[in-house]
Amino acid sequence: MAALMLWFPFSPMATKFWLVTAVFILIFAIGALGLNVLTGYTGQVSLGHAFFIAVGAYTGAYLGGVGSRDITGLGLSAAIWIPAAGVIAALCGLIIGPTALRLRGLYLGIVTIGLVFIGQHIWVNAPRITGGPGGRTLPSITFGSFDLGQDQTIAGITFDSNALNYYLCLFILAAAMLFVWNLARTRMGRAMQAVRERELAANLMGINLARTKITAFVISSFLAGIAGALYGSQIHFAAPNPQTWDLILSIQFVAIIIVGGVGTVSGALLGSIFIGALPQILNNYAGSIPFGLIQTTAGGGGYISYGDAAAVVYGVLIIVFLIVEPRGLVGLAARARRLAARYRSTRGAPPSVPSQRPASAEEVVK
Amino acid sequence: MTVTDRLVRLRGLGAAAIIAGLAACGTSGTSNTSSGAAALKTGPGIDTATKTIHLGVLTPLSGPVAVIGKPLTLGQETFFQQLNDSGGIEGWKIDIKDHEKDTKYDPQTQVQQYNAVIDSVAFIAQSLGSPTTLAIQQLADQGKVLIGAATQSSSWVTDPVMAVIGNPYSIDIANGIDWVVNKLGKKSAKIAIVYQNDEYGQDGLRGYKAALDTYHFNDVGQLTYAATDTSFTSQIQALATAGAEYVFLVATPSPAGKLVGTGAALKYLPNWVFQGPCWSGLLMTSDGSATGKPTPLNNPAITSHINVLGFQAQWGDTSVPGMTKFLADHDKYAPTQVPDPYYMYGYAEAEMEAAVLKKAIDSNDLSRQGILTAKLNTGKITFGGLTPDINYTPQLGPVAEQTGISAVDITVPGFLKIIQAPFLGDAAKTLKFPAS
Amino acid sequence: MTEFLEFLFNGIALGGIYALIALGFTVIYRASSVINFAQGSFLLLGAYLVAWLHVDKGLPFAVSVLIAIAVTASVGALFQIGVLRRVTGQQVFTIVMITIGLNVVLTALVPAAISSIGQSGSDIGDPWGSSTLGIGGVTLTYVKVWTVITTLFVLLLFFLFDRYSRYGLAMRATASDEEAALAVGVPTRRVNALAWGIAGAVAVVGGFFLAGFPSRADPVLGLASLRAFPAIILGGLESPTGAVVGGMIIGVVEELTAGYQPNHASWLGTNFYIVAPYLVMILVLMVKPYGLFGQRPVERA
Repeated sequence: MAALMLWFPFSPMATKFWLVTAVFILIFAIGALGLNVLTGYTGQVSLGHAFFIAVGAYTGAYLGGVGSRDITGLGLSAAIWIPAAGVIAALCGLIIGPTALRLRGLYLGIVTIGLVFIGQHIWVNAPRITGGPGGRTLPSITFGSFDLGQDQTIAGITFDSNALNYYLCLFILAAAMLFVWNLARTRMGRAMQAVRERELAANLMGINLARTKITAFVISSFLAGIAGALYGSQIHFAAPNPQTWDLILSIQFVAIIIVGGVGTVSGALLGSIFIGALPQILNNYAGSIPFGLIQTTAGGGGYISYGDAAAVVYGVLIIVFLIVEPRGLVGLAARARRLAARYRSTRGAPPSVPSQRPASAEEVVK
Repeated sequence: MTVTDRLVRLRGLGAAAIIAGLAACGTSGTSNTSSGAAALKTGPGIDTATKTIHLGVLTPLSGPVAVIGKPLTLGQETFFQQLNDSGGIEGWKIDIKDHEKDTKYDPQTQVQQYNAVIDSVAFIAQSLGSPTTLAIQQLADQGKVLIGAATQSSSWVTDPVMAVIGNPYSIDIANGIDWVVNKLGKKSAKIAIVYQNDEYGQDGLRGYKAALDTYHFNDVGQLTYAATDTSFTSQIQALATAGAEYVFLVATPSPAGKLVGTGAALKYLPNWVFQGPCWSGLLMTSDGSATGKPTPLNNPAITSHINVLGFQAQWGDTSVPGMTKFLADHDKYAPTQVPDPYYMYGYAEAEMEAAVLKKAIDSNDLSRQGILTAKLNTGKITFGGLTPDINYTPQLGPVAEQTGISAVDITVPGFLKIIQAPFLGDAAKTLKFPAS
Repeated sequence: MTEFLEFLFNGIALGGIYALIALGFTVIYRASSVINFAQGSFLLLGAYLVAWLHVDKGLPFAVSVLIAIAVTASVGALFQIGVLRRVTGQQVFTIVMITIGLNVVLTALVPAAISSIGQSGSDIGDPWGSSTLGIGGVTLTYVKVWTVITTLFVLLLFFLFDRYSRYGLAMRATASDEEAALAVGVPTRRVNALAWGIAGAVAVVGGFFLAGFPSRADPVLGLASLRAFPAIILGGLESPTGAVVGGMIIGVVEELTAGYQPNHASWLGTNFYIVAPYLVMILVLMVKPYGLFGQRPVERA
């Protein structure tokens, strides 16, 4: 998998479009990994991820962007503003955490929606940092004179700007995955999972609930901040309207970890690939749906535009997928491995027992 | 203005480089032509085998803003189709349908779709929306890609890659206030503005403030709203309490209709002055056509209090020389399209692009740089009065500055009729567009 | 004073719509511990159906509304039976995600489908238009008056049903302990489907009032349901009474903030009324973490 991802920009399918789509997928995976620490490992439902993404983006813009009479921008190197975006977002998490984490389950989920709306209010009313309602431009990623916003030639090979951003994001994601993978095996990581399974029991075992939850919140916010700064550098411009940092963005992150697999490291990446690439594939092929149902150009015939048709298919696929495999892509992968193992053990002989589907709770009740 | 300042700072260098490059290319172009049948310089999107020029379109074809994106794109399709049918530009055909991409009015999707088409098109024939166009502006500057900017934000007029037609929003509002204060002579009228709280609204507000500095009129309120609002009672109460007699609206049709309707219901009927994008035929009938069912706003007591600012001619006004051909093309290529200002805008935008391409073909240079050079030296482009004449020169700045005032007339096709011919007021002249 | 009364009344009318939306959330949450993120798209479906049946097909307004209610309620119930029943017992979040999937489908499909078979305008042609009622100098639009009356009527119907009918009892029993209810013979599966039907039905009522004059059925209508989130938390997730009280409080807070904050507390920034309901919600939760009417779940280690 890793080798495949390193090779991707050299593959024949790496057009500009798929490269930039891959960059967005990697960025979403970094943010989703953060949410997975909070929601997947620690069991704290958050729909406020978009707030921390925005904090990261505006931190990047403030430190790395170019200033003007009305907007501050310090023009620093990306080596400073990318980590700083994570740190500032983590600080916000540290401040908000103790208040938010008093609440449980879906209550927490909805209160964190409030965070998204309060954020929108702040972005509109802090023009020196955010550009106010008019928004501000965001810098491309630059280390000294090396600008990832331009095509660059390294050792005789010319890299598309999107490929450069791809490798940077891949590197950051790999580091983040390694960190989270290790975290899950530490004392703190086990404490988080204990909190998720049963809070009261965890408390009786001597786990400091507040400390565990706040740590998860801070790590989650840190990764969201990094993802936000990277995201901002790719969309080049950020304004609170129309809805750049809205609830839909938060929901997208939740969708990624659920479709990918809750509480797993690889789930964040698998989910991002699914959620990030699927709409694009559908967009490209919705025009091939027959019977003249689809309108492919503004003046063409058909009943529904290809963008809407793609959205409908996308929604249906999410529903069908979660019915078939509620544990997400990670569950699907595990099932495939089991099947492969069984196939190997029977040495190619036709399986005597039909492959078993894990029984659902409903069937157990019956 | 914040946005403009920032943009100019950011790409001052890039702009200078592009303009500097022009001089060189300009001369080499001339020497090519003088030497006779010189080889044509080409670039992405130019298919010399079939003599076709491919252009990209980035526009919302689904979602709430598709009501603008669809007719606008259809207007472009209509113009290029009739152009191709009448022989194209010196034998060159223009294609936009192969690279028409749905952006859903979302900056991320815009960036992705830009990357999807950019290697196979000569330039972007339409990029709709301010936040979306800002998302690709840095990319376009670097790639020297011409962008047909289908948005009237003041930000574009100082960027050489942005090909704009019509007035910046700020100029329309400033002229609208001039109309009230000077043309109608209401020097002491109580005036207010309600604007959408985003980049578009801020640009309108900028024009309003420039007019305030020039005319020192009686400003009784600067109110705002959010795009998702369902209730506009508080804004109406505030306007009524302040006694505003002229209210300028920088909004989109849905909130504009809600504001006027809420006001009418609460017996508050000031003179509403709409910024162009507030208007839609859908405010008057259920489908925007003359045969649709009238809406509650379609009531002389209300419509007599609505005026609309704009730089375009009104649909069906055959006193404008280009109107007859425009209507004939509409009937031939898009007969189901209801009268719509965005359709006319798209048609005119395509006409501008054809003029730029003709200049580039005449200069024997269809490379990116060649097309950009052509744009900056096209000079005067006329639209038969559909939209004001523009003049493209290396000297950047607003391309049009005159605003006309329309009133609602339910008997004409687009429901609007010009009552004040386009003019330029003093306040609009004071608006600064850095680097122009 | 007149101004205050008008703000208050408009707040109550807006609060009524929030209450209806919140009731839809609550009924489903009570039955299955799931927040239905497709509630906004039910609103959208209802409003577009009314627009199509009444304006395009020429059916009387009341008939159009009744058909829209029947269709949307069926969509809700069928979704529960056909889809959610297959994932019973899965993680709550997986089920929430499936409702998000439904929301994606309906939000894209409904406006596109209805505007391609009918007219694109989506004016719902409600009978009240811009007519108004004056009481002692206070001007009220008939739309708002009818919003309040209808809301109260629908809420009354719901509470009568909830309190006195066999299914109402079954719903409450399922809500308090699904396994015990199943054990004593309550048809919990049918009760769940019923809850989804009710949620669809009340959404339509909220939807056509939101889309009524001077508004129209447009694709952003679904977003209005997000504005009702503070209401359900304020009231307590599983309490229908809480949904109504929460909705009213949020509606009034929003209108009064919008009316007075720009002039009297402008330092709070533009459009403060959008966040005011969330701030009220957070303040209440600091004091009562399960809302005004919510119950603290009993925890067993």
